[in-house]
Amino acid sequence: MNRKLMYFLVSIAYLILIAYGLYGVYTVEATLHVKEATLAKPENKIAIAHTEIFGKLERPQVIFNHGKHEEALKTEGCNACHPADGEALKFAFPKNIKKTGKKAVMMAYHDECIDCHKKKNNESKKSGPVTCANCHAKENAALKIKYPAFEFDFSVHDKHVKKLKEKLGKDDCGQCHHTYDINEEDETLALVYEKGTEESCYYCHELGKKRGPELTAITKVAAKKGLSIRKVSHQQCLNCHLKYQEEYLKKGEKEACPTECSKCHAGKYKTVAELEKIPRPDRDQKEKPFINIKDAKLKGVTFDHKYHETSSKTCRSCHHETLKACNECHSLTGKPEGNGINLANAYHQVFSEHSCTGCHNKKKTEKDCAGCHYNIKPMDVETMNPKTDTCGRCHTGQKDKLQGTAISSGAVDKIKKDVEIKVLEKEFEPSKFPHQEIIRKLIKISNDSKMAAYFHGNVQTLCDGCHHQSASGAEAQKDTPPNCKNCHMTAYDRQHLNKTKLLSAYHRQCLGCHEKMELKKGRKCTECHKVKAGGPAEMTQSKNDHVVKQNKNNILNVWKPE
Amino acid sequence: MDRRNFLKIMGSGVASATAGNLLAPGKSVANEGQTAKEFKGILVDTTRCIGCRRCEKACAEVNGLPIPDISESANENTLKTTRKTSDTQYTTINRYETEKGPIYVPKRCMHCNQPGCVAACLVKAMRKRPSGHVTWDVNCIGCRLCMVSCPFDVPKFEYNKAMPRIQKCNLCYDRYNKGELPGCVEVCPTQALMFGSRRQILEEGKRRIAANPDKYVNHIYGEYEVGGTSHLYLSAVPFPQIGFRTDLGTVPYPEYSTGFLFAVPFVFVLWPIVMLGINRATKKDGEEKHEEKHEEKGKH
Repeated sequence: MNRKLMYFLVSIAYLILIAYGLYGVYTVEATLHVKEATLAKPENKIAIAHTEIFGKLERPQVIFNHGKHEEALKTEGCNACHPADGEALKFAFPKNIKKTGKKAVMMAYHDECIDCHKKKNNESKKSGPVTCANCHAKENAALKIKYPAFEFDFSVHDKHVKKLKEKLGKDDCGQCHHTYDINEEDETLALVYEKGTEESCYYCHELGKKRGPELTAITKVAAKKGLSIRKVSHQQCLNCHLKYQEEYLKKGEKEACPTECSKCHAGKYKTVAELEKIPRPDRDQKEKPFINIKDAKLKGVTFDHKYHETSSKTCRSCHHETLKACNECHSLTGKPEGNGINLANAYHQVFSEHSCTGCHNKKKTEKDCAGCHYNIKPMDVETMNPKTDTCGRCHTGQKDKLQGTAISSGAVDKIKKDVEIKVLEKEFEPSKFPHQEIIRKLIKISNDSKMAAYFHGNVQTLCDGCHHQSASGAEAQKDTPPNCKNCHMTAYDRQHLNKTKLLSAYHRQCLGCHEKMELKKGRKCTECHKVKAGGPAEMTQSKNDHVVKQNKNNILNVWKPE
Repeated sequence: MDRRNFLKIMGSGVASATAGNLLAPGKSVANEGQTAKEFKGILVDTTRCIGCRRCEKACAEVNGLPIPDISESANENTLKTTRKTSDTQYTTINRYETEKGPIYVPKRCMHCNQPGCVAACLVKAMRKRPSGHVTWDVNCIGCRLCMVSCPFDVPKFEYNKAMPRIQKCNLCYDRYNKGELPGCVEVCPTQALMFGSRRQILEEGKRRIAANPDKYVNHIYGEYEVGGTSHLYLSAVPFPQIGFRTDLGTVPYPEYSTGFLFAVPFVFVLWPIVMLGINRATKKDGEEKHEEKHEEKGKH
């Protein structure tokens, strides 16, 4: 009896185990591999998903055709869906969300959309869907809609300034620009416009970006009110556009005051060159300020502010937090307003996007410059023993005087014309290196760019690009730059295996430069190395012998250290 | 033998031994592979490789293999396909089209710090030398376990031969013992390959990454992969893009089996003894007597 009971219990236990295992296998959630597709042309459609509220969606997201609704509700106006705050509209939907919970948001959407659709249906007008799957369509589940950001560049700014002057008869920047007085206790009075304080919207409204203490106080207020750059720019731009749109339509200017999504978010951006001719906003900035810091060790710098204005797309690319001068926040020893970054670093930080040196370094990665500069280490305040000429290039100490003269190509004729490199003589014909031609080309590139012309004083500077160690030690005493083989040995240095030997010095210097400058010439072996007739390279081609005679045709023997 | 004689013999023996060493200094060089204190290896900088395939040719010359045609036109054709190493090619260069343009990657035996092939070999034909070289010997029985155990798919078998051998790169062990650099390193025209002790090349690799943070991805392939390898790779793009496996983990392959192998004697030898012991210990005195009684009954 006892034994039977035990068998029974054990088999029951096994059964439970098996059942549990099966349950485990069949209840694993199948992961759907849905391919996410991004709509190339959003065509005024908006994806409504609110994953920040709902998390994982029970039903597929809704792709809302804003353009269609705009057209259908033309007579009723934007007011039909968007709530108004006094005269100005708030571009939010739905109108009545009282609570922020999942259910409340869902119901608000359903009420507003379906009610309106039903209403139109009852009026026997063309209307939208009222059943679930018609909006929550399965095929839209993985669709992604992303509008390219709109760039309010200087050309657009200039257009607005001119149109507004035409309309109002005077300059009134206060139509768009305002400042927030953080010290004002009455919040309704804090938002003011003051002439001469116009700045970019991004400073205060780009939430989530790390800012200095002064600006953080303001962005905190903006964040509290939920005034992100996206929200405020829609509100500011669209309200004004809606106000003036009809007026322009009557005049026949159809493109003026756009309100459609895809009109602004077209994904077309102007380049710096295209914007060069457009006048920059005038805020009484000096054309060529003389930056002379009291108690600084180096002489002052005359800075061509006007030239730099036209060579960048926004003021923000240098003035990262405010349009004040650098030394108002950054002092010689660093102030809390400037995040403790001292002036020397503010101007010279190598990896910053806003410092002089940082921006110049970025410029040096462009293809015309990178050929030489990819090999040259960036200079910063910590560089040991820089050439006196290097610092003096900017720190002239002379007011209103900018250096920078084009390199004269007169001296080039004295330079060696062609150089023949015979290192691989045994195997290949000598490689011809058009020395003079290359220098002429480099001089042309340097003279064509204003920045390069300013910094490259004479031909010697360009020589340093390839003859990179020519200034060091004894070599500096001589007039001619050194040969490569003075330092780079033909064979491996067994003590320092990472030292570059002659063969790789040539290959890396030549190929590196050609690659960085995106030159099509000189990328294939045969362009420089012609196979010598009867040489070892020709002899040892495709012999399928398993035993190779150790003869002098061996490439290893050819390159044996002498 | 008395004490005096013994000392005499010993003394002369020691003297001749030292003299022998002094007279033949070349001998210590010849044994470099056996006396090395550090693993040697090669740092491969894929940003420098220009895909000329000179290393393939040099490798063939060193090892007496069929010489590949490395003329420009032949290279264009060969590089179209991704080639694995084979029994007649210990090193191959492949071209990978990546986000940063074409990148050439030389591949050969990685010479792991703790090679799976060495642990798998039944007859110790595969050996990890003190100098880091993983070499193959003729006492191989052809079981091909090394091929299965290699995470990089390197050892290759001469299927088409009557007396087949296992073939793979041996980091030019013979040349190393003669004091020469590996063939591929010697001919590389851009010094994409750097030979040195593993410590040196690791240091150099880290220095290059630190000096050019924009140029390289911050990872040295082979530093930790499968417990570290003697071939280290630098790259400008994430390693999966240039055909490297990143799912190998950092555990040396032999260590996966050591736990199990240690358990074998316990399971098969000790476990029965333990069970028997427990059985004996828990048996009641009465039961034994009971059984004895039964036996007695049976007799009757």
